[in-house]
Amino acid sequence: MSCGRTLQVQAYLDGELDAVAAASIEQHLETCAECAEVRAGIVAIRKAMRGQATYHHAGAALRGRISKALRGGTISAVAGLGRRFWSGALSGAVATALAASLIVYVMAPSAQDQIASDVISAHLRSLMGTHLIDVASSNQHTVKPWFDGHADVSPPVADYGEDGFKLVGGRVDYVHGERAAVVVYRHGQHVVNVFTWKNDGIAKPGMKNLNGFRMLAWRSGDLFYCAVSDMAPAELDELSQLIRKTAES
Amino acid sequence: MDERRRRFEQLVLPHLDAAYNLARWLARASPEAEDTVQDAMLRAFRAFDGFRGGDAKPWLLAIVRNCHYTAMERKKRQMSIPLPENDDDTALVAPDADPEAAAVEAAEARRLNLAVSALPAEFRETLVLREMEDMSYKQIAEVTGAPIGTVMSRLARARALLRERWLANEEAVP
Repeated sequence: MSCGRTLQVQAYLDGELDAVAAASIEQHLETCAECAEVRAGIVAIRKAMRGQATYHHAGAALRGRISKALRGGTISAVAGLGRRFWSGALSGAVATALAASLIVYVMAPSAQDQIASDVISAHLRSLMGTHLIDVASSNQHTVKPWFDGHADVSPPVADYGEDGFKLVGGRVDYVHGERAAVVVYRHGQHVVNVFTWKNDGIAKPGMKNLNGFRMLAWRSGDLFYCAVSDMAPAELDELSQLIRKTAES
Repeated sequence: MDERRRRFEQLVLPHLDAAYNLARWLARASPEAEDTVQDAMLRAFRAFDGFRGGDAKPWLLAIVRNCHYTAMERKKRQMSIPLPENDDDTALVAPDADPEAAAVEAAEARRLNLAVSALPAEFRETLVLREMEDMSYKQIAEVTGAPIGTVMSRLARARALLRERWLANEEAVP
């Protein structure tokens, strides 16, 4: 530790510097090996903290207990008892919900909100019939190569008609400035859009409800997936499992 | 009363996950974290009249943090401090995936979780607020009650320690 600017490097990576100071640090980083190393460490830790470390999500039982307490005004003395009761009564359901959604992380704000709202807007546009599919086909051998020429990523594509999720086509949409590949499925009356883009560690896996739609996001390999629909969580999850299997085969 | 609760549910309740995540990383055990969050939410509700707009998240997280440390003090007198749990959540990583890859991924996540858990509390909370909640130095200062300069040095220490214990270890693996 000899360079006196390492704290500035940190502030730069944390988005705390103004444009002038940032430019000066960027220049410094080109020549200072120590600071470049500090940067590499911070970036690696950030990626791990946002991608691998567990984001602890408030469980359904806790959520229910709190909203009940807020409504009823009943408080701490019953809390412990309440927890044991509810954890008994709900543990099965909660465990299923947890297992069903793999890691129930929550999307943190800012960039997450932007991504979520992009995905929802694109989904809405697709439902309004203005832009559902660019390539209409239930044949994976037609849809997959199409992405190679049109999107930045090549997502797994397969028809899960036998499992109730019929492949109807693909298109390209912009999410947070990225050209995302979108695979479109139909499940009964429901349209499901599965967005895929490069896993940059910004978006977080999880289940999220927004404007009456449900999103299930996960990452696998170097891709990030976000399935959106008005289907039930279990159905979304089923589709995500199928896609994971395809991706891994 | 109903209007007050509605406003609370609109402004504060959306940060329940952030509250739980912070409590859970501070307590390193689920039951304690749940009690802390429930306690904090009800305190926040009672103190809500004193909340004068602005960002509800740091306001709530400061209450969560206080509740945690108050509970710790109480506990210390009883001499039982929870050890980091062998985190069950990591077992949920991709149960259907290639078992070997899933096991590696789960093991890596567990190793990272343990390394973070092992950081001293003031470094741990600062890192969690910065990297998981994406909070600015100013917001972190608001939650932890530390000056911004202290936030910066804690963050630097947290990262250096984690780098030493986790990243260095990882790089050693071929």
